[in-house]
Amino acid sequence: MTPIIEFDGVSKWYGDVIGLNKLTLHVPAGVTGLLGPNGAGKSTFLQLATGQLRPSQGTVRVLGQGVWDNPALNRLIGLCPEQDAFYEWMTGHDFVRTCARLSGMGRREATAAADRAMQLVGMTENMNRAVKGYSKGMRQRTKLAQALVHQPRVLFLDEPLTGTDPVARRDLIDVIRALGASGCSVVVSSHVLHEIHSLTSRIVLLHRGRLVAQGHVREIRDLIDKHPHRIVLVCDKFRELASKLATCADVDGIKFLDRESGLLVETRQPDTFYARLPGLALSDGLALREVYSEDDNLEAVFKYLVNR
Amino acid sequence: MTASEVAPPRRVLHAEWSALAALFALTVRQHTHGRRLLVLALLYLIPCALAVLLRGVSRAPADALEFALVLTLLPHGLAPLTALLYAAGVVSDEVEEQTLTYLLLRSVPRWELYLTKLLATLCVTVVLVSTAVLALYAAIYAGTPEFWSVALPRAGVVIGVMALAQFGYCALFGFLGLVTRRSLVGGIAYIVSVEGVLANLDFVGRSLTVVYYVRTLALRWLDLPAEQLRQCQESWGMTEMEKLPSSGSCVLIVLGVGAVVAAVSALRFARSEFHVKTPGSD
Repeated sequence: MTPIIEFDGVSKWYGDVIGLNKLTLHVPAGVTGLLGPNGAGKSTFLQLATGQLRPSQGTVRVLGQGVWDNPALNRLIGLCPEQDAFYEWMTGHDFVRTCARLSGMGRREATAAADRAMQLVGMTENMNRAVKGYSKGMRQRTKLAQALVHQPRVLFLDEPLTGTDPVARRDLIDVIRALGASGCSVVVSSHVLHEIHSLTSRIVLLHRGRLVAQGHVREIRDLIDKHPHRIVLVCDKFRELASKLATCADVDGIKFLDRESGLLVETRQPDTFYARLPGLALSDGLALREVYSEDDNLEAVFKYLVNR
Repeated sequence: MTASEVAPPRRVLHAEWSALAALFALTVRQHTHGRRLLVLALLYLIPCALAVLLRGVSRAPADALEFALVLTLLPHGLAPLTALLYAAGVVSDEVEEQTLTYLLLRSVPRWELYLTKLLATLCVTVVLVSTAVLALYAAIYAGTPEFWSVALPRAGVVIGVMALAQFGYCALFGFLGLVTRRSLVGGIAYIVSVEGVLANLDFVGRSLTVVYYVRTLALRWLDLPAEQLRQCQESWGMTEMEKLPSSGSCVLIVLGVGAVVAAVSALRFARSEFHVKTPGSD
């Protein structure tokens, strides 16, 4: 397949700190997962690919063009950044519409595009509320809407599922899948393999700024499943949740966290466990507030891959 | 050309103008939503209240109040402070709030992005300072026979001169905001030492200050009565009018230097990287 993103010998240094180290990587069209623990260089990769950073060494090309100082290319790409930043005083619709206007659309065109984008991410009902009152899931959806409001050909998503509740997570996964199916190339970063796996089978593994592996998710899964997955659940009724989880065969261990209302669950069958979560979130008023994966297990796999 | 390569999209002029208009509007809205506006409104209220108080209590003469508040406090303190508070944050506020990403990802050249934001900032500060000028003249002259015949025409001239000064200040403080994170401290130090102290010393160095040209234009354009004119000249050490630059020179110097500084800043912004720290410090 012809690559849409080409990194050739790319390094990026922040003073003495290495963000990316001689990375050569060609990403083909379609949905690609960018996987790595915190500090792996995922965000640096995305900031280089979207022309926000200039490589210290090497060349970066997207759709065959250089990205640095190429504003015309920005019409073809979109980025959902990791940072939870907005113009808080705006409504969600106003924010997305402003982003559409900044992409060069006229007033009516921008309004229609913002309507479409907000509908696509399931925010129509709440789009006229101020962003500052949004939940984490709504904020992630709104960030995604601004990234796709100008209908880009390549979409970069930086940890789009972080901190979302199970329902929002499910919806966002559906939206990203639909975008991929519609012909938009998507690069989605995460430090959670399960998240990436639910979106694509093609993944790129980064660790400490270097390419560790690239290929089919199955090969990586086999390595990772040797280590228990650690998942944090935040829920007001965490004791009831713990007692319910204790009866599940796929749960290897449960630990109460120091922070309020938090449980750390260990499992070697993450697919089964994650599939159960939406049901748990809706049953018996347990109302999961937050779900996220600790990346210790992934770190162990990366260490294994790096040292093998 | 391979399937994945695309011809670079042509720059569409109307789309670019539309984007710049949206950026202008966004910047104006940002400036009018912050706490800064409230702080400045309170600051501007102080001299207005002072003028009303002094007129009512001690029957202070209007020309003395005009000199102290409109021709001294405003150009030396409030106007540059207004420019500093807004222009120094043109880029750094977006970096601080991590919203710059949303602007850099658009199809607008970076230098245009900077200049548009600076222009919007200039417009906001000019409106603020103009409002302050009108409010001060109203506080000083309201109810007097000179209000319509003297105060309002002078207010118009002062607004023009202050708008010119804001151009210089905004360009300067915009640059300061790009080169240092401590732009507020640096800006206040500049206002006090350069525009405050240096401008009052009768030597060639003061021609490097904005206030020097503001004062020269005030002396040439305000049509002050002889006594008031003499008071201004003596206080500012500018008694020999023939040695002062012409009005045209003053305007050209402030506009020219401001434009050069703004262009250098735009170039610097275009070449700068703005690394956004992510929650995982990735």
